[in-house]
Amino acid sequence: MEFLQTCIDGLLFGSAYSLLALSFSLLFGVMKRINLAFGSTLLLSAVFSLWIDSVFSIGIFGIFLVMLGSSALINIYVEKLCFFPHRGNYGATVSMIASFAIWMQLDELSSFLLPERTASFPSFLPDSLFLIDIFIRIDQLFLFFIAIFMTCIFFYVLYKTNYGLLLRGVSFDRELAKKIGVNSNKITSFAFAFSGIFGAIAAFLILSTESQVTPFFGFWCTLKGLVAMMLGGIGSLPGAIIGGLVLGLIESNVINYLGAEYRDICTYLILLFILVVKPGGLMGSAILRDERAASERI
Amino acid sequence: MSLYLITVLTNVCLFSFIALSAYLILIVGEVSFGQQAFFGVGAYSLAIFYVYFDFSVVFSILFGMTICFFLALLLSLITIKLSGLYFAMATLAFAEIFRLSMNLIRFPIEKEDRATGLNGPEGFENIRWIFENNIDPLGFFYITLIILSILVIFLFVLERSFVMKNARIVGKDLILAQSLGISPRPYRVFFIGAAGAISGLGGGLFALANTYIEPAMFGMMLGVHSLAYTIIGGLGLPIGPLLGVLIDIGILESIRFLSEYRMIIFGGLVAIILIFYPEGIISPRIASRLKRLFFKKGL
Repeated sequence: MEFLQTCIDGLLFGSAYSLLALSFSLLFGVMKRINLAFGSTLLLSAVFSLWIDSVFSIGIFGIFLVMLGSSALINIYVEKLCFFPHRGNYGATVSMIASFAIWMQLDELSSFLLPERTASFPSFLPDSLFLIDIFIRIDQLFLFFIAIFMTCIFFYVLYKTNYGLLLRGVSFDRELAKKIGVNSNKITSFAFAFSGIFGAIAAFLILSTESQVTPFFGFWCTLKGLVAMMLGGIGSLPGAIIGGLVLGLIESNVINYLGAEYRDICTYLILLFILVVKPGGLMGSAILRDERAASERI
Repeated sequence: MSLYLITVLTNVCLFSFIALSAYLILIVGEVSFGQQAFFGVGAYSLAIFYVYFDFSVVFSILFGMTICFFLALLLSLITIKLSGLYFAMATLAFAEIFRLSMNLIRFPIEKEDRATGLNGPEGFENIRWIFENNIDPLGFFYITLIILSILVIFLFVLERSFVMKNARIVGKDLILAQSLGISPRPYRVFFIGAAGAISGLGGGLFALANTYIEPAMFGMMLGVHSLAYTIIGGLGLPIGPLLGVLIDIGILESIRFLSEYRMIIFGGLVAIILIFYPEGIISPRIASRLKRLFFKKGL
């Protein structure tokens, strides 16, 4: 029963990781690039919406909307400054470093808007516990279902709409997509805005279950999203979901059986092990050493 | 020179080591998020050999470098199938495992009435070599500068040899390298190992200069910074990473009067520099032009 309880906790929390990993995976799929500034984008949008709220008192729904909008805009700013100028074949490392520089910038901006370091984030559900033999926090359960719902929307946009088709086309072969007349720059911006919105929803849910914002939230998002994505397998969207859930399961079990200080060590050990034994991740295709790997250099 | 300037310049020299190690790995075409681990292993092994076993400082540094070399070799061998993001994440995982396990290991001792030794997150205090030998900051700066210069001169000599040229081909185009008959794996493994050793050397000196080390110093930020130094400076010549460190720390220190907006300006500035110099300031193209200028025969 204890094991079941731990697993349920892990799955509920892992759904948040899944959402982060999905947004990362989307960008990596389209751009073959890593956006290190992603977490701080989410942090800045959260802090910015709290700041707007403190000035105009827009309420929780207003905060949500401002977060979505600002996150999309900041993400497009990151794209224009870090990824658009380096979209050639060899720009992978450079764009990553540029996004790292922007990460510093955005983090500084958010600490500027959040001078007292920690702020409470409004939560929209009662923080009560209820019992069906095991404890489940209502807000986490809600987060879990929202995550499933969001994933459905995500897949709907990608596989059923016109934009999704174009996006997958650009992701599959950028040159070919250009030749048949797809405006790949516009699609890339769309992908950035979309992942920004998606990430902002994830961040909103996570923050309102935690009910506080700290300056470490940005770094935390980047790291957990990356690790969850790598566990599941790069570029595979189901992999990102499973990676997030697995990460949640690992963390909650390690905390329960070994103690909180071993949580991150075990996560990284498992990540290293999976990378060494099955480099493609749990769900990803086995990497082909030569051609694909060369073109997929960060 | 004022004490402030000496401290800043010593830091520039110390971080140049980790930047050079990132440079070597970037030359063979990989990106490592984990060089801070070898910096940390170097620092910790110096501290352990010097404090626990009373080795002389030179031997401690050399042992630290050897440990780093073999650890890096091991890491590059187990990740031999990986490249690109996979390799970067594997090195990051390795570095974080090192950092977090240093948080757990505690083995404090008392030496000459001073608390020292491994002490988890509180760090390793009292590595008192510079006090015991009465080395002032200026003297230590000269020591690091001399070691760094020897290293850079060695890399310049290596630059003229076939080893570096082949490694650059391996990094630029794997298939081209293979069709020219260059086997990429030995280059990759050896360069990653050498990068680990250089980083460990820097870490050892860092521990001596600081007299205090803690696991939080060797976080992911340090590793990504070392990559940023190299990318800004350029992959053309071994002085590129040094230039990157100088620009980074130099700009940061010179706009100190803007203290509150410092990182806001700095982050944007780096992104803009990278738009204009996507291959870094001393890019391979500029490097070969410089070479033609100085060595008339060219390559």
